[in-house]
Amino acid sequence: MIQKSTTLTIDGAEVAFTEGETLYEVAQRARRPIPTLCYDPRLEPFGSCRLCVVQVEGVRNPVASCTTPAAAGMVVHTSTEAIEHHRTTLLELVVSENRQVDVDPLRGYASQELTTLVDRYQARTGRFAGAQSGTSHSEDDNPFILRDYDLCISCNRCVRVCAEREGDYAIAAGGRGFQKQITTEFDSILKDSSCTFCGQCVQTCPTGALADKKALRAADIEEPIEKTRSVCPYCGVGCAVDLMTKGEQLVGIQPAMDGPANEGALCVKGQFAFDFVQHRDRLKQPLVRGVDGQLHETDWDTALDRAAEGFRQVADKHGRHAIYGVASGRTPSEADYCMQKFIRRGYGTHYIDNCSRA
Amino acid sequence: MSNPLVDMEKPDVIFCIGTNMTECHPVAATRLKKAVANGAKLIVADPRRIALAEMSDLYLPLRVGSDVALLLGMAHVIEREGLVDDAFMHERTAGFEEYLEHVRQFTPQWAESITGVPAADIEQAARWYGAAERGAIYYTLGITEHICGVDNVQSLCNLALMTGHIGREGTGINPMRGQNNIQGAGDAGAVPSNYPGFQAVDQPDNQAKFEKLYGRPMDAEKGITKVRALEGAGEHIFAMLIDGENTLVSDPDRKHCERALNALEHLVVIDIFLTETAELADVVFPATSWAETDGVSTNTERRIQRLRQAVPPPGQAKPDWWIISQIAQRLGFDGFEYSSAKDVFNELCSLSPIYAGLDWDRIEHGQYQWPVPHKDHPGTPILHQGEFKNGRGLFKVISYRDPAETISEEFPIWLTTGRRLQSYHTRTQTGRAQGIEYLLSEERLEIHPEDIASWGLKDGQWCRLSSARGSVEICVRATDRSPRGTVFASFSFNDVPINILTGSGYDPITETAELKVCPVRIEAL
Amino acid sequence: MALAYRLLHMLKPNQTEASTAELIAHWQEKPAPLLGLLHALHDRDGYLSDESLRAVSEGLPIPLADLYATVTFYHHFARTPPGQRAPRVCTGPICSQRGARDVLHALDDAREMPCAGRCDHPSPVLVGQQVFTAASDATLTPIPSPLPPINPSAYEECLFAHIRDAGRHTMAGYRASGGYRGLEKALQKTPGDLLALLEESRLAGRGGAGFPTGQKWRAVSEATGSPKFVVCNADEGEPGCFKDRALLDHDLHALIEGMILAAYATGATSGFIYLRYEYPETLDRLETALEEARSDGLLGRQIGGKDFHFDLCIRRGAGAYICGEEGSLLNSLEGKHPYPRNRPPFPVTHGFNDCPTAVNNVETLAAVGPIVARGAEWYRNLGLGENAGTKLISLSGDVRRPGNYEVPLGLPLQTLLNDWAGGPLPGRQIQAVTMAGLSGGFLAEKDLEVTLDDPSIRACGSFLGAGGIMVFDDRRDMVDVAAQAMHFFADESCGKCFPCRIGTQRLSERLSGTDGPSAWTDWQSEVEDIGSAMASTSACGLGVAAPHITQSLLKYFPSQIQRHLANQQDLP
Repeated sequence: MIQKSTTLTIDGAEVAFTEGETLYEVAQRARRPIPTLCYDPRLEPFGSCRLCVVQVEGVRNPVASCTTPAAAGMVVHTSTEAIEHHRTTLLELVVSENRQVDVDPLRGYASQELTTLVDRYQARTGRFAGAQSGTSHSEDDNPFILRDYDLCISCNRCVRVCAEREGDYAIAAGGRGFQKQITTEFDSILKDSSCTFCGQCVQTCPTGALADKKALRAADIEEPIEKTRSVCPYCGVGCAVDLMTKGEQLVGIQPAMDGPANEGALCVKGQFAFDFVQHRDRLKQPLVRGVDGQLHETDWDTALDRAAEGFRQVADKHGRHAIYGVASGRTPSEADYCMQKFIRRGYGTHYIDNCSRA
Repeated sequence: MSNPLVDMEKPDVIFCIGTNMTECHPVAATRLKKAVANGAKLIVADPRRIALAEMSDLYLPLRVGSDVALLLGMAHVIEREGLVDDAFMHERTAGFEEYLEHVRQFTPQWAESITGVPAADIEQAARWYGAAERGAIYYTLGITEHICGVDNVQSLCNLALMTGHIGREGTGINPMRGQNNIQGAGDAGAVPSNYPGFQAVDQPDNQAKFEKLYGRPMDAEKGITKVRALEGAGEHIFAMLIDGENTLVSDPDRKHCERALNALEHLVVIDIFLTETAELADVVFPATSWAETDGVSTNTERRIQRLRQAVPPPGQAKPDWWIISQIAQRLGFDGFEYSSAKDVFNELCSLSPIYAGLDWDRIEHGQYQWPVPHKDHPGTPILHQGEFKNGRGLFKVISYRDPAETISEEFPIWLTTGRRLQSYHTRTQTGRAQGIEYLLSEERLEIHPEDIASWGLKDGQWCRLSSARGSVEICVRATDRSPRGTVFASFSFNDVPINILTGSGYDPITETAELKVCPVRIEAL
Repeated sequence: MALAYRLLHMLKPNQTEASTAELIAHWQEKPAPLLGLLHALHDRDGYLSDESLRAVSEGLPIPLADLYATVTFYHHFARTPPGQRAPRVCTGPICSQRGARDVLHALDDAREMPCAGRCDHPSPVLVGQQVFTAASDATLTPIPSPLPPINPSAYEECLFAHIRDAGRHTMAGYRASGGYRGLEKALQKTPGDLLALLEESRLAGRGGAGFPTGQKWRAVSEATGSPKFVVCNADEGEPGCFKDRALLDHDLHALIEGMILAAYATGATSGFIYLRYEYPETLDRLETALEEARSDGLLGRQIGGKDFHFDLCIRRGAGAYICGEEGSLLNSLEGKHPYPRNRPPFPVTHGFNDCPTAVNNVETLAAVGPIVARGAEWYRNLGLGENAGTKLISLSGDVRRPGNYEVPLGLPLQTLLNDWAGGPLPGRQIQAVTMAGLSGGFLAEKDLEVTLDDPSIRACGSFLGAGGIMVFDDRRDMVDVAAQAMHFFADESCGKCFPCRIGTQRLSERLSGTDGPSAWTDWQSEVEDIGSAMASTSACGLGVAAPHITQSLLKYFPSQIQRHLANQQDLP
C-alpha cells in the first residue's frame, strides 16, 4: 500500500508525514522534545497526561499531540511559553500526589520517566499540597511485582499493556476522579486474578509504582547497573532481553523494547526466573567418579584426560559406532556445532542427536 | 515456522492444533491474542480446554491421538465444498489428484466417530480455514509427540497445500519450537541425518564436501536417533557424551532410560547442575550457563541472535564449545583449535548454505532469518514464497492409525502430558528461581470434576497412576480443563516422575515418543 | 424505627425473579447489552453480587477486571445490600440549601447523590425505583415532576407550546395538539430536503456545545460507514438542569418524533435514548411511549409506507455526570469504561460501535418536529435580534418562581429573573447566578446585565451551556457555594486526564480550606495556575469548564475568599 505523503509545519520547519501519523510521531521524527508520561509507543495513544499538548494555529485550545492525527498544512508549535508553563504546572500537580520522586532504576525499565521530566522542567515539589491518590497493596505477597501505588499517577499504561500487549486483562482502573485506583477483579491480590506475572506492567510504569521485587533485592549494592543485551534462555520464541548486573551479580532482567521477536514482551519465566544462574547448586568444578563409586571434584586436566581416555578405550574395544553424542537445545549453537563435529570429525559417524525428541 | 512471528497478527483465520501456546510460548501467544482482538477467527483443536480454547471462536475437543482423522475430515469438507485453491495446486504442488480422491472417503461423520468432535464443527472449521484469505496453522508437540507425528505434520501440510495457505504473509505451517536453541541445534547439524545447514548425510556431494572439510572418511548412511542409541546401550553403544540434557527425567520410560545409561562403559555429561543424569556419569564437566557466555541461538522463526556474557561463570565452569573441543584435542582430533565462540560460529557459517551470508558481526542486531544464502541477501522471513525448496509441494496420502496403546479394561483412562507456564521442562532452572514456587509448588493430576466423583476420588486427594510401564503417586486437582476420561500432568517435577509411565510407542520416522497418549489406571490412596 | 423500612413497603415490588442465566440469555442478543443486563440484576437483588458479575463477565463476555472497574465507576451501582433499596438524597447546590442534609441524617442507611434534576421542587430522594420529595421533617411523598410554569410572556414558545395540554404525554394527546405532523410532512420530502430545512432553521445543539444540528446530521448522512445510529443524550446530569426532564416526562413523543426525523435525515436504522439513572419514572413513561409509537407504525419497518426502517431502545445510565459527554456516553452504551474519547475521529463518522452516529440532546431533538411542521423561518424568528430560536432555561434557587422557562435567545437575564420569575425573595438581593448549571461558573455585578445568548455571555467569560441558572441571594456564602461546586466536579471527574483528575481535587481542597496555602498571594497563584492548565489542557469539557468556578470567584468575590483564608489562619 502506497501511503500519501504530505507536509506540515512544526516549530517553523516543514516536515513530511504519512497519513495516519499523529502529531507526536511527526514531532518525534523532527526531534522535537515533547514530554510525555502516558505514552508508550507500543500502545494505542491514550491522551491522559496532557503533557504532550501542542498549539495548532487556528485551534483555540492546545491539542494532545499523541492523539491528534497530522493533517496537511497544520502549523504546530510544540513549546510556546504558555504550553511550557502548563507543562510545569501539570508536573507539579503530578508530583503533589506522589509519595516521592526519586525511585530506584531497578524498579523497572521506564521507572525514571517522571524523575527525568521533573528535573527537566525543574518542577517544584511541595507545591499544590493535598491528599495522596494512591493506595499501595502491601498485602499482596507475590514475590515478583511490587504494587507500590503510593507512586501511581494513573497513566493507565499498566492497564493498557496488560490488555493490548499481553491480552490478560488482569487489571483495570476502578473508581473515578482522584479516587481512581488500579485494581484487579474484586480488588484481589494478583495471584487470584488473571495475571500471569509477565511483568509488562512493571516495565512500562513511568514512576516505579509497579516494581520488580526481585531486582529490588539488589537495591543496596553500591555498584552501578549495567545492561547486556542477550536472548531469553527458555522457550523457542527468542525474546531479546537486557541482563542487568551490578558488579559480578546478575540482579534482574528487562525486556528489550526493540527485540525483534518480543517487542518488549516477556513471560513470567523470562522476566523473573533468572536466578538459577548464580544458584549455589551450580557445578563449579569438574567431577570424576572414583574407585569408591562416588563423584569427586578434580581439576580440568584430570577430568579431560579421563573423559578422553574413556572414549578412546570404548572406540578401541567396540569400534567407532559405539560412541554417541547428545547435543542440547539449550546451549548456544557453537556447542551443538562442536558436538556434531566431535562425532563426525572424530569417528566419521552420524551418531549424534539433540534433545528435540523429548 | 514458515512465517515470522510478526505474521501471527495478520491471518484472518488461525488454526491452532496441539499447542498450548499461552503457557508454552506465552509471548508468541500475545500476538495471536492481538489478531483475535482485531477480528481474526480462531479455531483451536486440543483434547484439553486450555486457555487458547477459551478464547477461540470454535473449539474442537478431539480425543488424544486422533488428529489425522480430524484433519482428513476437514480436508474432505474443503474438497467437497470447492474451497480448494485450484490455481495454487496446479502451479505449485504435485500429487493432488490422488490426495483429493483419497480424502473423498473420509466424511466429517466418520471423523466424528474417531475424534468425538461433532461433524458440524469439523465442517465449520474446514469452511473457515478453506475460505480464509490468509489462513495460518500453528502447532507444537501435541502434533509431533505421537507415533503418527509425521503423519500429523504431513496432514497439516496437505491442508495448507490444498488451500494455498503457504508462502504468503499471514499464512503458513508454523511449528513452535519448545527450547531456546533447539532450532539452532538442528541448524548446526546435531542430528543423525544432516550435516550443518540441513545438508543430508546420504547425499554423496555432501559426504564429499565434509570428508574434505573434516579430513576423514564419513559414513554414507544416516546415524541413529537418541532413542535407538539408548535402546542399544550396552549392546552396541558403549559411550555417550551428553551436553545440557537431563535425559533421565525428560525422556519417556524413565526406568528403561536409567538402565540404558547404567549399561554404558563411559558416560560424560556437561551441564550447569548435577542433574539426575549427571549423577550417573563417569565424568561431569561444569559448563557456563546463559548469561555467562557469548554465543548464538536461533529461534522458532529461524531468527539468528547473539547471546552475550554479562557475569563471570562460577568456579571453574567453562563454555560447552571449549569443553568439547578440549576433549577432542586430547583425542588427537584436529580442527578444534578455537579461541572463541566467534571462531566456531564463523566456521559454521562457512560450511552451511543457509548461513552463508552471515558471520558473527553481521548478526549483531538479530535482524536475519535464515536462509541467508549470500552476503547481499536480506534473509528470509517467509519460506516457500513463489517456489518450494524442492520444486513442488508434495501431497502425501495419509490414513488414520490408532495410538500405540489404546484404553482397555486394565488401563481405562487416557493420560496426556505437557508443560505449564511457570515451570520449564525438568525445573533444573525454574526450580532454582526464587518465587516460582509461589505460583506453582507441586504437580497435580488434572481430572474433570465429574470423573473425580465417578472414580471415587476427591479434589486434593493422592492417587496412584499406573501404566503398562510403571506407576507414580500424584495429588488430584479437579478442573474442567480436562475432558471426561482424559487426565493431564506435566513432567516437570522430579518427585512426580510422569515419564515413568510414558513411552508406549515411537514415530517410525522421527522416533519421537508418543508422550501425548498413555492409557493409565487410577487408584485412590 | 427505621423510616427506610417503612418505605420499602411503599415501593413497587421487584419486577423480575428471573435467574441470572435467563437474564444473560435475554440481554446477550440485544444491542448495547451491558447496562441493561447490569440494571436487571441490580433491580432484582438491589445490588450487584460477585456471582452476578462473574456470570456477566462470562456471558457477554467482558474481562472481569474491566467489568468490576466499570461497575465501581458508576455512582448508583451498589455492591452490597441494601444497595439501591437504601434512600439516596440529592445534595446538589440547591437542595443542600433547602435542608437536604437534615433529610440525609434523618433517614436510615441514606446516602448522598449528586443533583438529581428536581431543583424546581427540592429535595428529591430516590428509593428503589421511585422518586420522592422530602419535606423538611423528612417525610417522603411521591410527587410527579412539575410542569413548566404558564408562559409568563408574550413570546411564542416552540418546545413548551403544548406541554401543559392534558394528556400530551400519550400518543392520542400528542396527536390531538398537532404531534407527528412534522414527521408526516417530512416523509413527503427527501432526506436532503429535511437537512436543508434544518440548516436554514439554524437549530444548534441545546445540550451546551451549540454545534449546528443540520450540519451534524449532514455529516452523518454523508459518512460512509454503516449501520448508522441516532443517540439521544438524555443523561441530564448538570447540577441545576432539569429541562430535559420536563420534556421527557410531559412531552416525550416530541422527542421520539425528533429521533425518527433524525433517522430519516441521516439514514440511521437504530437509535438509543441514554437516560440518566435518576429519572426512573421517566423510564416507564418512555417505554410506554415507544410501544405506542411501534403500534402506530412510527417505529419499525417501512415507516410511513416508505423504505425507511428505524427502531430505538432505551438504555439507562447508572449515575455518572461524565456520561453526558458524548464520547463517555458512547463508551458507556458499548459497555466500555466510560472515559471520554479522543477526538478526532468524531461520532458523526465513528460513534456507536465505530459507526456514524448523530448524538443529540433531548431539547434539540424535540425542536425538530415543530420546525418541520411550521417552517425554518418561523423557528428562526423566535429568537431576538440576530439570535435564532429558543432555549429552555432551568431556573432555580433564590427566586420566587423557579422552574423551566422557554426563552427567546437574546432575552435579557434580568427580564427572566425579575419579570418572569418574580425576582428575589422578599427583602433579598440577587448576589450571583450560575451559568450552564455549574459549568459556566458565576455571573455577578454588572455582568448580570447579559442577554441570554452565547455571544453576550461568552464576553463575560462564561457560557450558556445546557441552560441551568441557579440564583444565590445575598445570604449565601459564595466561597462555600464554590467549594461545593468544585467538590461535585472532583467527584464526577472520570479520572482519565491528569489536569482534571488532580486539578479538581486540588481546587476543591483550596476552596474548602482542607489543604493548600493560607497566604492570599500563594493561594491565588496556585488556583490560577491550576485553573489555566485545566482550561487549556483538559481532555474534555468537564476539566475545561470546572475552573470557571474559581476564575469567576476570583473575579467577583476576592474579598470573600480573603475572609475565608483569614478565618482559617485564626483556627488553632
